[in-house]
This record gives sequence, C-alpha cells and structure tokens, in this order.
Amino acid sequence: MKLKVDYMKRWVFFIAAVAMCNFAFAQRTITGTVTDAQNGDPLIGANILVVGTSTGTITDFDGNYSLNVSDAATTLEFSYTGYTSQRVEIGSQTVINVSLSAGQVLDEVVVVGYGTQKSKEVTSAVASIKAEDFNQGNVNSPAQLLQGKVAGLSIARPGGDPNGDFNIRLRGLSTVGANTEPLVIIDGVIGASLNSVDPNDIASIDVLKDGSAASIYGTRGSSGVILITTKQGKEGSAKVEYSGQLALETVDETVNVLDAAGYRDFSQRVGKGTDLGSSTDWFGELTETGVSQVHNLSLSGGTAKTTYRVALNYRNVNGVASGTGFNQLNGRLNLTQRAFDDRMRLSANVAATNRDADLGFTQAFRYATIYNPTAPIRDPDNTALGGYFQQDLFDYFNPVAIIEQNSNEQVQKRLILNGSIEYDLLPGLTAKMAYSEQYDNDLNDTYFSRESFWVGAGRDGLALLKTTDRFNRLFEFTGNYEKNFNKLNFKALAGYSYQAFDNQEFEIQGGGFLTDAFTTNNIISGAEFPNGLSRNYSYRESNKLIAFFGRVNFNYDDTYFLSASLRREGSSRFGENNKWGLFPGVSGGVTLSNLFNISGVDNLKLRAGFGVTGNNVFDSYLSLSRFGPVLQGGSGGALANDPRRGGNPVYFLYNGNYVPAFGPISNPNPDLKWETKTDISVGLDFALLDYKLTGALDFYTTTTKDMIFEFNVPVPPNLFATSIVNVGELQNSGLELSLNYNVISKQNFNWETGVALTYFLKTDLVSLSTDDFDFGGTRDISNLGAPGQNGTPLIRVEEGAPIGQIWGLVYEGISGDGQWIHADLNNDGEITNDDRAVIGNGLPDFQLGWSNTFKAGNFDFNIFLRGVFGHDLVNTFRAFYEAPDAITSYNILESSNDIANLTESPTFSSFHVEDASFVKVDNATVGYTFRLPEGSSFSNFRVYVTGQNLLTFTGYKGVDPEVRFQDAGNIDSNAFRINDLPSALAPGIDRRNTYFRTRVVTLGVNLGF
Amino acid sequence: MKKHIPLRLFFVTLLLAGFGQACTDLEEELYSSIDGDSFLSSEAELIAALGAAYTNLYPLAGNGNIYSLQEVTSDEIVVPTRGNDWNDGGNWRRLHLHTYGPEDDRIRDSWNFLFQGINTCNRLVFQFEKVEVENKAAILSELKALRALFYWWALDTYGRVPIITQFDVPADFAPPNNTRQEVYDFCINELESNIGNLSKSNDATTYGRMNYWAAKMLLAKLYLNSEVYTGKTEWPAARDAAKEIYESGLFDLEPDYFSNFAVNNGGSAEAILAIPYDKVFAPGFNLAQMTLHYGSQNTYNLQEQPWNGFCTLEEFYNSYEDNDARKGSFLVGQQFSSTGEPILDDGAEPTDPDGPPLNFTPEINELGPNALRQAGARIGKFEYELGGTQHMSNDFPIFRYADAVLMYAEALWRINPNDGQALMLVNMIRERAQVDPFAELTAENLLAERGRELFSEIHRRTDQIRFGTYNDAWWEKPADPSDHVNIFPIPQNQLDNNQNLTQNPNY
Repeated sequence: MKLKVDYMKRWVFFIAAVAMCNFAFAQRTITGTVTDAQNGDPLIGANILVVGTSTGTITDFDGNYSLNVSDAATTLEFSYTGYTSQRVEIGSQTVINVSLSAGQVLDEVVVVGYGTQKSKEVTSAVASIKAEDFNQGNVNSPAQLLQGKVAGLSIARPGGDPNGDFNIRLRGLSTVGANTEPLVIIDGVIGASLNSVDPNDIASIDVLKDGSAASIYGTRGSSGVILITTKQGKEGSAKVEYSGQLALETVDETVNVLDAAGYRDFSQRVGKGTDLGSSTDWFGELTETGVSQVHNLSLSGGTAKTTYRVALNYRNVNGVASGTGFNQLNGRLNLTQRAFDDRMRLSANVAATNRDADLGFTQAFRYATIYNPTAPIRDPDNTALGGYFQQDLFDYFNPVAIIEQNSNEQVQKRLILNGSIEYDLLPGLTAKMAYSEQYDNDLNDTYFSRESFWVGAGRDGLALLKTTDRFNRLFEFTGNYEKNFNKLNFKALAGYSYQAFDNQEFEIQGGGFLTDAFTTNNIISGAEFPNGLSRNYSYRESNKLIAFFGRVNFNYDDTYFLSASLRREGSSRFGENNKWGLFPGVSGGVTLSNLFNISGVDNLKLRAGFGVTGNNVFDSYLSLSRFGPVLQGGSGGALANDPRRGGNPVYFLYNGNYVPAFGPISNPNPDLKWETKTDISVGLDFALLDYKLTGALDFYTTTTKDMIFEFNVPVPPNLFATSIVNVGELQNSGLELSLNYNVISKQNFNWETGVALTYFLKTDLVSLSTDDFDFGGTRDISNLGAPGQNGTPLIRVEEGAPIGQIWGLVYEGISGDGQWIHADLNNDGEITNDDRAVIGNGLPDFQLGWSNTFKAGNFDFNIFLRGVFGHDLVNTFRAFYEAPDAITSYNILESSNDIANLTESPTFSSFHVEDASFVKVDNATVGYTFRLPEGSSFSNFRVYVTGQNLLTFTGYKGVDPEVRFQDAGNIDSNAFRINDLPSALAPGIDRRNTYFRTRVVTLGVNLGF
Repeated sequence: MKKHIPLRLFFVTLLLAGFGQACTDLEEELYSSIDGDSFLSSEAELIAALGAAYTNLYPLAGNGNIYSLQEVTSDEIVVPTRGNDWNDGGNWRRLHLHTYGPEDDRIRDSWNFLFQGINTCNRLVFQFEKVEVENKAAILSELKALRALFYWWALDTYGRVPIITQFDVPADFAPPNNTRQEVYDFCINELESNIGNLSKSNDATTYGRMNYWAAKMLLAKLYLNSEVYTGKTEWPAARDAAKEIYESGLFDLEPDYFSNFAVNNGGSAEAILAIPYDKVFAPGFNLAQMTLHYGSQNTYNLQEQPWNGFCTLEEFYNSYEDNDARKGSFLVGQQFSSTGEPILDDGAEPTDPDGPPLNFTPEINELGPNALRQAGARIGKFEYELGGTQHMSNDFPIFRYADAVLMYAEALWRINPNDGQALMLVNMIRERAQVDPFAELTAENLLAERGRELFSEIHRRTDQIRFGTYNDAWWEKPADPSDHVNIFPIPQNQLDNNQNLTQNPNY
C-alpha cells in the first residue's frame, strides 16, 4: 500500500548523507577536572562545550575531561544540571579546571506570555520542561514529550492509533461546553497547531498552569497555555546533528473474544451458534508489527549578527492495524538578524509540514470483536463481494474485507510563516512588531469499493472527498520598558493583538460507480451525482479576536515580586451585548529564604496568584439571527441547519415542483459571551540539601461561570429545542507536587528521581442554570446505543454533584433461571429506571508520574512510571458482548463464560462499570554515549533503546484503562460518522472504537558533527 | 541617535493605527447564511420560507415520533425485542404494554416534532404579517390551518397542551397547560374561521398543502372524536364535514387499493392531504428500514441493510379474510432475492422452527427479549422501490378519501345504527377489497374494517380509543389498569423547562 516505503533504503541513505558531512580543523587538546564548588567532589557527566560550536565532551567518573578544540575556539562553557554554568576563556591554556556552584535552577529562563522571566522571579504556577527532560522513544507528537512530566497536566491517547490525537487537559476540567484543550503557542504564534512542529525541533515547553499567568491570553486562557519554543541557531561554526530511530510496535492487548475452539465449545454447551468450519483469529488478521522510522537532520550556526537553524524531519510511521500510519515531512527554518548596532533584531521562522496518512477504519475492530471465529476469511465463489466470506446479519461485516477493500486517507498540510522586528527605541524601551500567518489544510479521501459489503456494495461504490482550510493571521504590537531604581527592578509591557481567522470547507460524497478503477479520482462518473443521491456541501466562516493588554512586574531585591496584568479582549463571536471582556491577573511572591536563614533550606519561595481567564465561543454567528436552507437527518441539536452537522436539505413541493425551503439556522443569542474562569493559586517553591532536592507544591481552586452550553429550551419562545447559552458554575480544585531529588551523585554513578503528583480535590458542577435557563437539577446523557441499548443513558449530569457520575442499575447477580438481578432501590417490587443510582465516576482522583535517571559511566538509564487512580470506565464491549445468549449471531467475549447461565439480553448495570486505576511502565530507555577518540569527526555519538508502554498494571478488563475525558457518542451500525461535538460532561465511557493497546520498542541514534 | 527617528516615527504611527476604529471592528461577516433582517426580500424567498412550515411534516412517518407513538401503542403494530436488537432501554415494549412514562424517547420526540411545527407556523404568521405579499389572507389562513393539524395531533396524544399562537413572546415565556376542551375548541375555531380563505382546488397547486378539503377532513376528524376529547358528541357535524368531501366530486376510490401506496402515488384520486415524500427532495419516510429483515436487502436491492423491527400482530393479520385484496399489505412466507433465489437467514437461531430460509411468520413467539428474527408479518403496504435508499419516495397519506368515506359512514351509523347509506358506504370499501359486503354495521365490524383499510396510516390508536378497545388486553399485553394511558404523559424535559406546565393525571 501507499505507506510501504522501503525504509531500509532510506535508512542507509540518511546514514550515508550524514557521514559525508565531515569538517576538519587544526586541533589542540585541553584537559581538566570539573568539581563541585561546595565540597570539591568531582562532577561526573558535566558538559563541556566550545562556545559557538557543537564541539564538546563530558567528564568521566573522576570529573576529568579531555577535549580537542580547533584553533578558532576561544571560550569553553561548563554546565551541569542543577549548577550554574560557567564560561572560561581558553587563551593559551591547555589545562582548565573549573568548580561549579549549585543553584542554576534559579536563573533558568522561563517563557511566560509575551516574554521571559528568570525562574526566581516567577510568581505563578509555571512548569518549564527542557529538551533533555522530554520523554524519549517513538514520539510523534509534542504532547507525548510531556506525558506524565508536569504535575496537573493530563495527557491521554487511549489505544495506539498512530493518527489519533492526544487529549490534553490541564488542572482537570475547567469547562463543560467549549474547548477543554490548552491554548498552544509556538514561538509566539497563538493558537498554532501542535502538528506543525516536529518534536525534535523543540527546545523547551513551558506550561502556564494558573490564571494569573494565563490571563494575558484573555478569552483563550482558561484551559491553560502551552508555550513551545523551538531550537535556534547559535553563534559559531556550522553544527550538523542527526538523529534517527527505528521503532517496532506490537499489539499489547486486544479485546478478548472467544477463539474458534472456545466458540465451538461454548456453542455446544448452550446449543446455539453456527460452526462454519474454519478457525480465524480476526484480530490477528487485522494487525501486524508496525515498523516506523524517524530521521531528523539539522544544520545550525551563525555569526554575531546572524544565526540560523534549518531542520528536516522525516517520519514514516506504521500502526499495528494493517495499512494504517503516515508519512510526514517537516521542515523548519529559524533565522535571526541583528542590525543598527544590535538595536534592531529581526527574526523569521518558516515551518512546513506535509503528512500523508492512512487512517484505516476503526470499525474493523468492532466487527472483529463480533465476527464468528469459525468463519473463513475468503469465499472464492462470492465474486460479487470480492471473494470475501460475508453473511447477511445486521451490522455484521467481514473485518478483513473492510480494511482490504476500502481506503481512508488524509493529507494534512501545515504552514506557519512568522516574522518580527524588535527595536530599542530608548534605553530600557523596546518596541516589537510581529506578524504571522498560519495555513492548515486537511484533505480527506475515502473510498468504499463496489464489492465492499460494508457501505460500498449497496451504493455501487461510495467516494468521499472533503477539504478543510483554516487560515489565520496574527498581528501584534508590543512595547517593553525596564528600569532599575536601586534595589527595585521595574518592567512594563503594553500591547495590541489582532487575529483574524478564515475557515472554509467543502465535501462531495456519492456513489453509483461503474468501476472501482477511479476511486475518488473521477468522481463525476458516479451516478449519484446526477440522480441527486450524493451529499455535497460547502461552508465558510470567519472570526476575529482583538485585544489590548499590559503587564507590570516589580522585583525588589530578588526577594519580593509582584506581577499584574490586564487584557481587554473582544471576539466577533460574542453577542452584540457582550463584545468585550476584561481579564485581570495578579500574582506576588516572596523568597523567604532571603529573609530568614533556615538551615538546610537553600531556597524557599511562597507565591500566590489570582487570575481571570476566558474560553471563547466554539463557533461563529451563534449570536445572530440567520436564515438558510432547512436541513434534516443530521445530528440535530442547536445547529441542525448547519451543513457541517450532516443534515440534508429538504425541499417544498410548490405547484408540483420541489423548491428549496428556508428557515432559521439557530436560536440567536445576542447575549452570548466568553466563559469566565476565576483562579486562585498558592504555591511554594523550594530547594533543599544543597539543591539536591528541589520542588514545588501548589494548591489551586477555580470557579468557572457562564459556561457555553447547548441548553434545552422550550419551543416557543425559541425556534429550536436547544440554544447555545452561557450558564452555570463549575468548581475545581487540586493539589500538585513536583519533586526532583538527586539521590546519588557519586564519581561513577548518578541517580536522579522526579515525581509529579496531582491530586484532584474536586470537580463539581455547582449549577447549570441561570435566571433565564433552569437546568432542572439533573439530566441523563450519553446513550449506550444500538444494537438494542438505545434509551440507556450512562451519565447523570447533576447540579451540585461531581462531574462524571456514571448512572445505571446496581448489579446484584444472576438468578438460577438466568435473569439479571438488579437492586430494587425504591423497593417497589419492580426494576425500572427509578432504580438507577450513581455507580462510578469517570474522572480520576489522583495521578502520578515518576521518573528515574541513572548514569553510570557512559551508560544512562531512564525509567518512567505513570499512574492514574480512582477513575471508572463503562466497558461498553462488555455491556454489549458479554452476553452468552448473543452467541447466535455474533461472537462474544471470552468473559461470557463467567456468566454462562445468563439468558437475558445485555442490560447495562454496575456490572459493566470497572475501576480503571492503572500504573504503566510508560517509558524505559538505556543509552550509551561513546567516548570519541581524539580527532574524531563526530562531536557526540549516542545510541539508545527505548521501550514504551512496556507493562500495565490494572484491574480493568478492557483494552486500555486510560481516562476517557470526553464522549463523542456511540458509533452506530454502518453509519459513516460525521463529527459531533464530544461532551466533556460525559467522561468515563470506553466506546467500541478504541484502538488496540500497543507496545513500542525504539532503537535510536544521535550524532553530532 | 538622529538617524533612527524615521523608524521611531514608523512605530508611533503603527501604534496609533492600532488604536484606530478599523482595528477594533468585531462585526461578523456571513458567507453561508442570510442575515435575518434581509431575509424575505424576494418572492422566491417567501415561497422558501413557507416551505419550512411543510418540511416540518417530513419526520412524521419516520421511526422517531408520531408514527411510532400512535402505531406501536395500538393493536396493529409491534416492535418485538429480538435478542440484542430493539431492546433500547425497553422503549418499544413499554409502548406496546402501555407502561410508557414521561421520559420515554418517543414521547419526548413527538412533542418536539409537534411544537416545532406549531412554532414555525407562528413564526411565519408573524413574519408574513409584516411584509407585502399577494394573497396574504390565504397564506395566513393556510398556516393557521396547518398549525391546527399539528394541534390536532397534540390534542389526540397529550391532550392538555398549551395553546400558543404568538411568536414574539418574551424570553421567559412559560405557558401553562390548556384543558383538552380548550385545545379542541381552539382547533375548531381556527379551522372554521380560516377555511373560507383556503383554496378549493384539488390539483398540483394544492397537492401536499393545507387546502379547503384537508381542513374539512381535519374538522371531520375533530368532530368524530369530540366525545373522546371533550366528553360531548358532535356526530352531525362530523357527518356534514365528511359528507361535503364525499359529495365534492373531487375524490374517488382508486380501483386498485395498492395504487394509493405505490412509489409513484403522487396525485392519487384518494389523496386529500399527503406528505410528498421523495428520496432526494423530501426524505424522512423510512418504513423499509423499520420493518424489513436484514436479508430483505436482497429482495429490493436496497442501498442499506434494513433494521428488522416493526411488524404486525398475528391477531391483526388474521382479521383479514384470505381473499381480502388488502391482505397484500403484509409480507409473509419465504422471501426471495430480486433474482428469484430463496433468501437464507445466515443468523437463524437453532430454535427457529423454520430454520435458515427467511420466512416471515405471522406468529411471533414473544414480545421479548428473544423474539425470533424471522417472526412477524412485515408491513408491505407501501411499495418498496427496487434499489431504494433509506428514504422512500412513496407519498404518505395523512388524509385519504377512503377514510373520509368510512368516517361519513361511521357518523351516519352513530346517529342511526340502521342507516342504510352507512352500510352502503362501508360495503363500497369492502367491494374494492374484493370481500363480501356486510349485512349490518356493528361497532366491532366497523372498527375492524377501519383497521384493515387504514392499517399503518396513523389512525389506529385514535380509533381504538373512540371505540373503547384501547384499554383491552391483547397479545402479550394485559388490560390497562386505568384509562389514564389514553393520553400520553407530558415529556419530562418539557416539565423541566417550563415550571408552569403540569403533568397529566396519574403519571
């Protein structure tokens, strides 16, 4: 298929290309020892780098180093984690001994909104993760770099779908309606797509966790802000770096269904089921070992005036599901130029990504679950259906045929252009102008064969082409002023921001083809286009965000800190009556260790912050009265007449001819506005035991009001039965602890351990009502769905109760005659809907990331454990298929043996809700750094092996115990799904489209020249 | 220093520009819809706007609302639970057993369907009153008559619904229930006072529209069921309304009963009011999906696999004599593919007495949970188009002339049980069905004849209540403990949204 590139050939090509880049210089050797300034112990593995080059080495077990440097080298930089770096002029020295002092953490640069701070000045909850601390291995998304590393940041992608997105959630849930994902900012480009940056090009990721830090981003700050800074070139000679990876991904866990022998045995026992004579492992037929490779090549360098970095990243990723994966090429150019005696600084960045993905069909997994294991894969006589075995049962399709006969591809293009001019107007006063453009395009291309019993055959083939263009441009103008008054340092920022978005999409979808030869490439040949059965639509929307903002920072004697910011922002999406909002943030801190001398305490800072952030409306025009064609048959709701929601236009028979019918699009809401989140955060930063133990403890409590929510409203006075309105209140609080401890720091052995703990104190829905809109206390949502379990809501939404309550009957057992026994909670002698109760909660109580890094000689070893505790999952596989009685038509779960005497249909109850707490050995890496011989053309050379998702400890019986933060609804029968808004009010449902859990082993190499 | 002044000026200029009016403009620009203020500016837009009132009817015959609510609660259609299929939280069994409650899906969705229809009429009356239109009075009357149709269904199902005629109501509008009598009176008054403005034509200009005859038929329905709705009979008024239709000369019985239900049944001589369904232009009628077996896909070469749900009760099937032409309203026995091969059910249960051949048996072994996949005579009254989609092109008769004839007969019989013309009219219907004439009319044979003639046309529950059999026991259903089930409960979500609404008695 498309992705089966000859990877070995490419691998060889890259190595060869890299080996040719070989530079030679006149050399001399410098030796010396690096020690701890405090106790004189040698520092092992300290970095020594020739400034402006990539030439460098590390110290050995005795703290000694030896480095060949060219004649051109002037300065060496000595650095060590947790210590302040030092630069030493080489001059004519050949022996340079250096002692480093601990405490470098305080001077680390932290990126905050519209600027940077030193970590000692930070008064908000900000986490800063540098490249060396990122997760390693088969990392294809920047989100993966951070998984488990930051207290309060939850990142999950259930299953191993290579094209799946990660769900990112910061400090639990802060909204129930609008966007729950943090705002991503890449090199100042606000709202950038995470896929537009390759993980290898990232220098650091900073996470603004609390409102006092995020309020400078106004209407988009509520779910937190993730600031990504890409790697820049450095002054010095050209530096070439290569890294390559080969990853093997295997299936770790699939749905446990009866195999052929088990099926025969079971069907004989119960006298049901049909033995079709073959033995097929359907999951085995759908999967293979996914072989992936990643190559990154970068060139960087510069002069005192100009620096540059160019990177090329190639990814060929193959998933475990046969035929799924993607090819991606990403290129990035970062350029900076200084002019006018360095008073002017210009920078330009270009990043382009092209991803060619084979999405496959997750539906195949659902059918593999229910397909008879005694059925053959092929039936040569069945030529009309391509020679595959097929049976005419409801919602029952040969899964191998699905993936082999049909194709589902997507091409993603991402382009960011970004430039800025910064100019020093007066001493201390700098003005900056930045402009960026971002283009995203997705082209979806799906074809169902004429011979595909699933979808295609009934329509003589079905082709779907959809293209989505998202464009935005951002203009920002900022001024910075800084001045020192004795011990007081004062900084001020003022700015204006204008961002305009323009989004366009269209789709054509139809069948009636004579041949499969064209697939989507000659769609006009399909009969459904002229006969009216095709579905085609186009849509365009634009919106604008405009803001004025400012911030002042005071630092008195590096001991007292105060920061105050304000953003006034308006969105075109807000209603006429609420166009502009105000978002203030204030935070302060005091370094107690400067005031009191506490023994053993190197640094202790108390900080507190208050901030107001917003969450923008998710779509345009919801405040307006609009008319357009009446649509029916879509996913309905407040946007039933929006063509993106799947409806078809309906026509009016007027004088014997069908003419278009026009009606309103949505209930206009001129009061529509942003959600408001108010956040109070208190934190303590500390460093103990000579900076061996560092950490932060944070408490936060947030209140979100005016949540944007699709509300049931009466008709009349409204046009539609649901409206998009601002309602309710959500409260959320938690505790976070991050700790880093250098346990052992010996000559030949170093062990560092780090813990990121998050305890979610509460996530309570205080209210979903206002004076005008009464929610009515409770509502039951998220239907379990077809087959046979419609009218079975799984989640109770209740005012005054926690979010994520799983709702249903309480299981008590199975009676002797094979009937369910459920608790009769209201003691009326009958089991009805009134006997339902809260039977679980989908949100976790507690999460933990625990990393350990060992260095012994040239070896390094890293093991990372990640656990999430206290969340439940509705195992919908069990709710549908743990059903002894259903073996007639379908295969069933192996666990049906546990309830073999049940004769009733599946009925959802607490029986299908499971504690999904888990601990995973998420990542383990063993690396070896070669000691390079003198005169080597390489500056560094490291090889490593990483295992991801190696072990999972959980009591959950389903495929993957990861938290399901939101629910996109049941995947119904053979319907081809149109995107619905997933609901954050319904966490905890493991739907039947979960991909397999996988395990990945990666072999990697890093080379520097 | 000096040489940098132009640059500084440049920045200052930009800063000022940044605060200018243009850069704080947050107006929205529409691309894919029309601004509400500029809508209704052309004749085509006026017609399109009127269309929205009628397209609200399209979901009627789907499986989501009124059709299911009215049919599955009657003794002519049942949706058995077939193993995993059609359990749906017990929704379908509760409809059959008359144990429905305010949270049932069909009860919730039918209300939404009705009030969506009512509200659109209110909106269009409000909008049309403000613009200059030719025949304004006729259009307004047509909208009000259509609104009365939705209100009749609301009167028949929920009874005590709020009467709302205004569109520009305040945001906190929360109307209380009206009594069933008030709703009845409202429907009668609206129709009587607007019928004079409606077109008396019965041709392409009125097909699918609320013309004089559709309004007259609706009046006949209201009067005929007046006793149920108000406790007071209106037989003579029912008789007069039905008689006017009968004697109009505009309608006639089709010689072939099934031509009323053919794919191309548009303009049938019996159509008084039809929903002009079309698989492309007017989708929503999905009876093929609802009733046919998965394997029936091969009989009709359907685009999509049907759902194997709705079928008729054995007793109802047996109420047809074997030579009754209308017995063709059901699909029974071995099913064949479009090429004539017998269809096998790949998933037949070993317990199925007929084995794998796909054979629809009128007998259904149980209501659930393990009704056999092949059990139940299927609804075959509407012709299924070869190569059909989920949406059928057969027009659905809301009001049909044969019903008018039977209603006329019933009104005459109610007034005088020995009325000769009443017997003649019923026998006219029987003659078309090629069955022997009745010698006399009784409540039993009149109800049974209406059942046979009007099967699956959304009349049965109303008729059963009028004839007093709705609370009887039938297959797998005990007699109702109380007749409070004769009106449905007000949906829970409506009560939640409107504090002034109260629940119907005994729910």
